[in-house]
Amino acid sequence: MTKRCGRSAAGIAVVVFMASPLAAQNGQPQEARTARVISDTGRLKGPRQPIFFRHDVHAGQSRIPCMYCHASVAVSSEPGIPAVQTCFGCHQLITGSTDEHKAEIKKVQQAWIGKQPPQWIRVHALPGFVRFPHMRHIKALGTQACATCHGQVERMPQVYQVSTLKMGWCVNCHVRSGVSRDCTLCHY
Amino acid sequence: MGEPMERRRFLKVLGVTGGGAALLSGCGIGPEPTEKLIPYLIPPEDQVPGTPTYYATTCRECPAGCGLHAKVREGRVVKLEGNPESPINHGRLCPRGQAGLQGLYNPDRVAGPLERTGDGQWKPIAWDDAIGRVAAKVKGARGKGIVFVTGHESGAFGELVDEWMRQVGGRHVIYEPFAFEALREGNRLAFGTSAVPWYDFANARYLVSFGADFLDTWVSPVGYQNGFARAHGFQAGRDASMAKFVFVGPRLSLTGMNADEWIAAAPGTEGLLALAMASVIVRERLAPVPSDAARLASLLSRHAPAQVASAVGIEPSVIARLAREFAASKGGLAVAGGIAAQYPNGAAIVAAANILNYVAGTVGKTVKFGPNDSLGGAGAGSFQQMADLVSDMEAGKVAVLLVHGANPAHSLPGAFSQAIAKVGFKVGFSPYLDETAAAADLILPDLHPLEQWNDARPRAGLFALLQPVMQPVFPDARHTGDVLLRASGRDQTFQEYLQGRWRELHRRHGGGKSFEQFWSEALQHGGVYGEAPLQPVRLASGVAQLTATPPALAGGPGETVLTVFPSIGLYDGRGANKPWLQELPDPVSKITWHAWVEIHPATAARWGLTNGDFLLLKSPYGTVKAPVWITPGVRPDVLAAATGQGHTAYGRYAKDRSGNAFELLSSAPNGYGGRTFSVAVSVVKTGEHRRLATAEGDPRELGAHNVEVLPLGRARQLKSGERAFEEHEAPAYAERALEDWAAAQHEKASLGNYAGEHPRWGLAIDLATCTGCSACVTACYAENNIATVGEELVVRRRVMSWMRVERYYTGGEHGEPVGAVVTPMLCQQCGNAPCEPVCPVFAAYHTADGLNGQVYNRCVGTRYCSNNCPYKVRYFNWYNFAEQGGEWESWPAPLDMLLNPDVTVREKGVMEKCTFCVQRIRGAQNRARLEDRTVRDGEIVPACAQACPSEAIVFGDLHDRRSRVSELAQDPRGYHVLAGLNTKPAITYLAKVVHDG
Repeated sequence: MTKRCGRSAAGIAVVVFMASPLAAQNGQPQEARTARVISDTGRLKGPRQPIFFRHDVHAGQSRIPCMYCHASVAVSSEPGIPAVQTCFGCHQLITGSTDEHKAEIKKVQQAWIGKQPPQWIRVHALPGFVRFPHMRHIKALGTQACATCHGQVERMPQVYQVSTLKMGWCVNCHVRSGVSRDCTLCHY
Repeated sequence: MGEPMERRRFLKVLGVTGGGAALLSGCGIGPEPTEKLIPYLIPPEDQVPGTPTYYATTCRECPAGCGLHAKVREGRVVKLEGNPESPINHGRLCPRGQAGLQGLYNPDRVAGPLERTGDGQWKPIAWDDAIGRVAAKVKGARGKGIVFVTGHESGAFGELVDEWMRQVGGRHVIYEPFAFEALREGNRLAFGTSAVPWYDFANARYLVSFGADFLDTWVSPVGYQNGFARAHGFQAGRDASMAKFVFVGPRLSLTGMNADEWIAAAPGTEGLLALAMASVIVRERLAPVPSDAARLASLLSRHAPAQVASAVGIEPSVIARLAREFAASKGGLAVAGGIAAQYPNGAAIVAAANILNYVAGTVGKTVKFGPNDSLGGAGAGSFQQMADLVSDMEAGKVAVLLVHGANPAHSLPGAFSQAIAKVGFKVGFSPYLDETAAAADLILPDLHPLEQWNDARPRAGLFALLQPVMQPVFPDARHTGDVLLRASGRDQTFQEYLQGRWRELHRRHGGGKSFEQFWSEALQHGGVYGEAPLQPVRLASGVAQLTATPPALAGGPGETVLTVFPSIGLYDGRGANKPWLQELPDPVSKITWHAWVEIHPATAARWGLTNGDFLLLKSPYGTVKAPVWITPGVRPDVLAAATGQGHTAYGRYAKDRSGNAFELLSSAPNGYGGRTFSVAVSVVKTGEHRRLATAEGDPRELGAHNVEVLPLGRARQLKSGERAFEEHEAPAYAERALEDWAAAQHEKASLGNYAGEHPRWGLAIDLATCTGCSACVTACYAENNIATVGEELVVRRRVMSWMRVERYYTGGEHGEPVGAVVTPMLCQQCGNAPCEPVCPVFAAYHTADGLNGQVYNRCVGTRYCSNNCPYKVRYFNWYNFAEQGGEWESWPAPLDMLLNPDVTVREKGVMEKCTFCVQRIRGAQNRARLEDRTVRDGEIVPACAQACPSEAIVFGDLHDRRSRVSELAQDPRGYHVLAGLNTKPAITYLAKVVHDG
């Protein structure tokens, strides 16, 4: 219910689009890049998560497709968040190269063993009166289109919100794409 | 399935974020500070977030055994729908079945086992201790009387109880307050079998019901309504359509309202009428009478129309006419039950109706013995058994009483409640603290039927399965089957026990499949649906001795006959803890949330009563106070009252809500071991008055032509392309304005979103098959997160029902016969909608696909739209019904778990309305888009159309010329409500058709 959120983040969105229009169309980088070493996590954008899960390592460096973990995005309105089993599927073998990585991966293993899934802080949220069918957007824009709204997650050590997710932002894109902007498309 | 606790917490979060609750947050960026996403440990294979999964199971809200599809989103059930594969209900579901969901998520469920302490308080107890205590008490009571009372159980659970009782030397008493004893005994008297046959309504060509309210609660109301609609509906091309339906009974029930002719026979004389009809058929040789009917000769000659007419209260010529019509139809069906089966001579009335069927040759055609209902046969319980139990309890012959799935303390208030005090140890298995559980020493809460394994055999040849469709809402409740197996020292779960039973079925019906495959297919389809062969029946030898003489019901002077009938929504009282059913207007009286007494206008005038005046009813067995509701639908010498209310426990929605009609009834069984539901009462005006919590506008239509009626002869003459109802859409002086409007519309249709081809969604409602049962109303509540507002707000006319069923009485004046017509009223999605132009903020607007859209987040609550709506189908949120802990809270936890995540929960100050289930339209469009196709006709089914047991509602695209709805919109019977206002509604009503004369 506040007005603080809109302006600054909208600026970020514009910057991202302008800086890398091609990447904005593609969820996956064209070539693998090595994720940088983070010394000061306090300066990272976005909410601090219970496990320092690095999208830049998984999606960027290791080039794991978004849909490996967010499996239902192309068939359902909800993209789904990976179960601990999915994390542990790899991390029972991959235990990390540095002490920092090892410490975080250990949390995953503990979550699995202790049956206590991590409580992620939600980054992208819509109000309760909005329906956003993910699958239709993936159908129209392709499985590489995640970045259109979520930004270059494969470069984010910690995920933050780049788009306002406000109605004007939605409608702008609908107008540009020449698709319906009927109210009851999203509001019911 | 992972670890249950984690999973549920995760689901709660997903529910909130997925749109279950409208946190009207204005901020589009940044997380809500409290929002967390908690993943599964192991993802369930059959769940996709954001997409519903359907599980087949079986409804246990009444003994009918309808098949269910439980819609599960993110691991919790959000809606119950009929299973289209079930031969019982054909994919349809009544209000009670749908409200099973509110039993599952009931906020007053008992969370875990409780024991009563010395000072009468409840104290939690561990399961192991509790089961240990039960086992020890049962062991110690061997020979001193162990009784297990259950409701109607036709499957494995009942067998387990039988087994256990045999093992410990106890007995199993099956108790249903409405147990159809008269039906069984009547069939035994006439045919020598106590089976309850299957009545083939769909193939009947003439129907006579002697009190049997088969559209209300009788035997299998959903299936029978479906059949009735097929037989009684009007189909232009089919000669056999429009089977005439005659209802005989003292009260115009929902079933009676749908009759073409109502014979308000004197109470208890229904059997005389049936025998008189049979005597006419035999005397006039109207049908090829079976040879063994000769033994009926003296019985029938004693019941010629002239001899019984005065007792029944109709002309002999009417009886002869009915008999001739019945026989001439060559497909008659007479059913007896309901009120007629609740007199002391109820069994004789049923037997008389059987004789009528027999001489008319319909037994084996429309009355099918063989596929018998599980309510019949020797194993079904009777009131006699319950009465015997009560006297045993009184005599101290019962040491341990276990009660599951029954609430005798409510339905037998005096006798049982006194007797239970003399039982040493009482165990209640109810998931709710009902009256019987409240009198127990130990409560071992059972799982809700939606959470448990079980099966049911609703009809011979049909084996229906129940499976848990979600994790238990209260994890510390436990399946009573598991508890019994533990208490009897068997190392087995109930699921294994059930599968053991099904291995037997597999041997007979497996068809070469492995058991695993057989089992999983049965789970998928909701059961195994076979057909039982027909069994011929012959007249019983003693049938000629039948006496159908009516009993003397009214006693001394000043006494009136009161008939107590089962409530359509609350049934025997088990529905009273579900707010959907409490707020569902009774299909006949339209009263919600409280009890009432029905009284004829002439009697009310004589006694000086107006609607809402309280009467104190005194019978020899008890007294009840209730407000009167004046209706032409009851005989002047009869009062009528519904069961269901008057609970002294059973949770916040049921407790302390008016009187309990069961209190007026005798607790002694009658001659056929059933209960007598008619009683002589004396009546005292208390002088008190209340406003009835009614949803009725006016009892009569007052010439508005909301419900158009066509005589059958006229309807048959109508040719395709013709219109029976000429619609003057506008007076001449308005034509210019109309032309301007049309031009403006044309111009607007080329702009923006509106350019191009779009569907126009429309509905067709066939009033020839709509019975007014109100299944659509509850379906709408369930699908669209409609708040229940409570008694006070209903009185203040603030009920939120987007879909209402209007009932108007007809006739009754100037000697015309009394009848009633019904019509569902919902948003008409006008093409030229009065609500839209008056909205100052464009919250009410026209969508490109022809809906009157309502944008909740844009609405500021001026209510102009509602003021301008001629149909009064817009509803305003006067309070915040979703506020947790608020004064008007509609979904106290965990009831909020049933909210449909696809529909916004509206806030205070917002107008809401029907949009043809736009979430289902968008859902179907999304699916179609994924599959690169267009939406198919019939793919989108709004909740009301889906539930409708009559299949009276059809939805589709009016612009698609091949769609069913556009075909129906062109039907000669079609008309639009208030068409003269030039609103151009998208709903076409098809006129009701009535028999000529």
